[in-house]
Amino acid sequence: MGRLTDENGRPARPPRWADWLLSRFCPAGLEDELQGDLLEMYAYWVKTVGLPAARWRYALAVLRLIRPFSGSTSSQSRDDSQPFSLHPTMLRNYLKIAFRTLSRNKLYTALNIGGLTFGVTCFLLIGLYLFDELTFDQQHRNANRIYRVVEYKSVKGEATTVAAGSYKLAAESRKTIAEIENTTRLARIGRANLINPENPVNFQETVTNADENFLHIFDFPLVLGDKHTALKEPNSIAITEELAMRLFGTIQVLGKTLRFSHMDAPLKVTGVLKNHPPNSSFDFNLLVSEASYRNTDYYRQTVSSDWASTDFSVYFLLKPNTSSETVSAKLTKLVLANFKPEPGTMLSFSLQALKDIHLHSEGIIDGARNSNVEAIAQGSPFYLRIFSFIALFVLCIAGINYMNLATARSSNRLKEIGVRKSIGAERSNLAYQFLVEALLMTTFSLLVALVLVNVMLPFFNQFVKKQLTLGFSTDYRIWLMTLAATLLIGVLSGSYPALLLSGFKPALLLKGMQFNQRGSLSVRKALVVFQFTISTVLIIGTIVLYWQVRFLNTANLGFNKDLLVVIDVNTGTARDRFETIKADMAKIPSVKNVSVTSRVPGEWKTYRTVKINTQGKAHEPQIAYLIGADKDFLKTFEIKLLAGRNFVNPTDSTSVLLNETAARRLHITEPSDQLVEIPAMSGGSGFQPVSPDNTPFKARVIGIVKDFHFQSLKTRVEPLVLAYNQNPIHVIDYYTARIDAQGISQTLEKLKAVLLEADPNEPFEYHFLDQQLALFYQEDARRQTLLIGVALATIFIACLGLFGLATYSAEQRIKEVGVRKVLGASPVNLAALLSGDFLKLVLMANGIAFPIAWWAADQWLQGYAYHIALEWWMFALAGLLALLIALLTVSYQAIKAALVNPVKSLRSD
Amino acid sequence: MKRAFLGELEEVVLLTVAALQEAAYCAAITQTIDQQMNRSISFPTVHTTLQRLEEKGFVASQMGGATTDRGGRQKRLFTVTVAGQRALIESRQVRSQLWEQIPTPVLQLWGA
Repeated sequence: MGRLTDENGRPARPPRWADWLLSRFCPAGLEDELQGDLLEMYAYWVKTVGLPAARWRYALAVLRLIRPFSGSTSSQSRDDSQPFSLHPTMLRNYLKIAFRTLSRNKLYTALNIGGLTFGVTCFLLIGLYLFDELTFDQQHRNANRIYRVVEYKSVKGEATTVAAGSYKLAAESRKTIAEIENTTRLARIGRANLINPENPVNFQETVTNADENFLHIFDFPLVLGDKHTALKEPNSIAITEELAMRLFGTIQVLGKTLRFSHMDAPLKVTGVLKNHPPNSSFDFNLLVSEASYRNTDYYRQTVSSDWASTDFSVYFLLKPNTSSETVSAKLTKLVLANFKPEPGTMLSFSLQALKDIHLHSEGIIDGARNSNVEAIAQGSPFYLRIFSFIALFVLCIAGINYMNLATARSSNRLKEIGVRKSIGAERSNLAYQFLVEALLMTTFSLLVALVLVNVMLPFFNQFVKKQLTLGFSTDYRIWLMTLAATLLIGVLSGSYPALLLSGFKPALLLKGMQFNQRGSLSVRKALVVFQFTISTVLIIGTIVLYWQVRFLNTANLGFNKDLLVVIDVNTGTARDRFETIKADMAKIPSVKNVSVTSRVPGEWKTYRTVKINTQGKAHEPQIAYLIGADKDFLKTFEIKLLAGRNFVNPTDSTSVLLNETAARRLHITEPSDQLVEIPAMSGGSGFQPVSPDNTPFKARVIGIVKDFHFQSLKTRVEPLVLAYNQNPIHVIDYYTARIDAQGISQTLEKLKAVLLEADPNEPFEYHFLDQQLALFYQEDARRQTLLIGVALATIFIACLGLFGLATYSAEQRIKEVGVRKVLGASPVNLAALLSGDFLKLVLMANGIAFPIAWWAADQWLQGYAYHIALEWWMFALAGLLALLIALLTVSYQAIKAALVNPVKSLRSD
Repeated sequence: MKRAFLGELEEVVLLTVAALQEAAYCAAITQTIDQQMNRSISFPTVHTTLQRLEEKGFVASQMGGATTDRGGRQKRLFTVTVAGQRALIESRQVRSQLWEQIPTPVLQLWGA
């Protein structure tokens, strides 16, 4: 039938890659006939079905004919040549043998699977965390084209970086800068009471104003309503599902009416927003249309022509393929063309990508918000780094340990390898055998880890404050990554034993060669030292952290923080009628003292800072914090007055008290009604004059109080000015009551009643000051938990490695131990001998760990103005712990080896 | 002894080997089946079937007959062994036996 070939010479050649495959992987002995036959078939196909189909059929035929897919499956192929290592039958055999080996050595299998499971679990948990952190704000279709405007301003060397801009900046830049497709403004102007008139309950909510472009640029999906019109009309409001449920009990609220306490006109609900996903930087639960304010005088006269302020968060949507740097430069130019900053002031703008807001906003003030609105929560690059390091570290070490245990155990398997080789196993067969074993183990570990991760996720979520899940709905990229990591670990950790063990000569193995390689032993020793070094460092870190956190929570702050209830002032009435409210509160029997202040020590909102100077002196003005306080402040907080007198009555509204630090900075030793001037106070960005006509606030110093820690112990006590409650700088914002330890809930009820009597619209918001103070150190407490977890993990893994090494060494020295025993060594001697080697390693690790730990702990403690001293016992304790753990791990093998009857170990030679 | 089973495909291939006589090699067999039986069959299937027949001892093979059409490569030429002949005859006998059992009127009805 060869005649069927095209007579006009050769038709187009068959696919070259298929030819190559055929020549490379053709079953042995069939090369000639198959290549010839297929060429003929190709010619025939070209004739009967056309060129493309012929090429396709040719490729398909080649794929089916090459190893390992070809050949009859009914029995072994007819020639007796070497079976292909990846032949299905061989694969089945590898799997079977792997199962048998693993189930025979249950202890090792458990150890290995334990270690690997641990590694994979850590990897998965951390992978989920990292994935969540790195995909922040990605739900918006145009996420990679959205930028936030950041203003950089430097006034005489004082630099501020604030993420905000002016009304005009947003309005004009779209018109004049070609690269900008759209802009939007957002402002968080404060908190106010939101009421559903049909069911009047006060909800204190953050007021977020947005212009009509906001929902175009960002994809915050609307469950109800139209994103094109929702924020267009004045007096429109869009609320989230969660808020709708709270206010109305249903989400079918389109067209309903709401009232905001700071606005005259009622608001119409024009949209219901879907709740934010957990990985969103934005957390507003309502949006009021900016148009609602455009008719106010303030807007028309001030805001709408303003180039200088930072009243708005401004977001840009750039056109595709434009550089943000060019736009920044143009923006800076545009603003400077319309607004001349004072001499000595540097002003420039930059654009921050939306995806960077979560993780790369350090040093950028989240502007355009009232001081009682919390800033956007930041991600922590610190955790990101730590976590990635741990994930890789744990996974690596788990893999290396597997390698270690496998090679250590291999001396038991040398005979098996010898027999396999002598009946014809090739090196590749053995290598595959070990690889399959490793892969089986990692796969099994992965399955266990998946279960474990789901068990641990609730705790982990609580710790990292996230809502992570692992299931069928998890992003496919996570699964892909996990699968890849598992395979990689399996292959890498299996490859070392696979390559090492398959290389020996069978004759030597069967003659009883001792598997002894000094090189690999010292590598393993180095690994143990490395692991224990890290473990010890972490144990020391944990101890230091524990004592520091304990110190922070129990240190004497200079005031008594216990049993203080701090009640927020949220309405004007509650502020104006404070005299009566305070008097009524003080009448409650379980309330000992009441004080009104603008801020409280341990404040969680921003303190106001001022510039202060003694009158007529040539000193540079000092920057000090300022708290407005009444005459009961010192008594309520139990702060000591060192010299002078306390406030007495409203005539003291031009008097101030200083703390020791402030007095020292102002060179005041004795309070004697010295006049001080306060010319400027902190505003939205930088300092601004106290009064519109630029005259400073003048006050007399009447007393000096002992320094107390009104800020976290991370910072030194700063200068502090206590002004009277009626001062021009900061109005009162809190009632603070010291109450009895008994019947706290009843006391709270009574306090609430007093407040509501004065103003029924006042939502009763309160905090316990000691709890608020503990929040300062919450991060440290979280780090402590993290460190304990990591320390346990590394110790666990280090012990696995040590155990493997101990087993190996005990097996190597079994004859030596036998001889020693015959010569009269006692089991105790022997156990000590065998353990001693390893304890030396751990001691060495301690030696390396101590200086590293000392350096690291010292660095960390330097971050606290007030901290504990590093003491020798912390190191000793950690070293002892590491030693003890190592001893426990090793002694099992040592004692076992020491108790073996020497007859058993010596008779075989 | 259990008789080696001859599958339908195997029977077709074996018959083709017998029919082609001296020129029975894999490509030719595939093309014959393709043309004469109007039955689409892939080359690898025939190849595997031939291997299986050889394992069962129904065909024997030898190399030979390189031509320029096929890039000067040798062919594996197949011949039917005695066992193969017997299997074919037996299978034909079984069939004709069954055919004979069908009553003539029925066959006439079929138009056969």
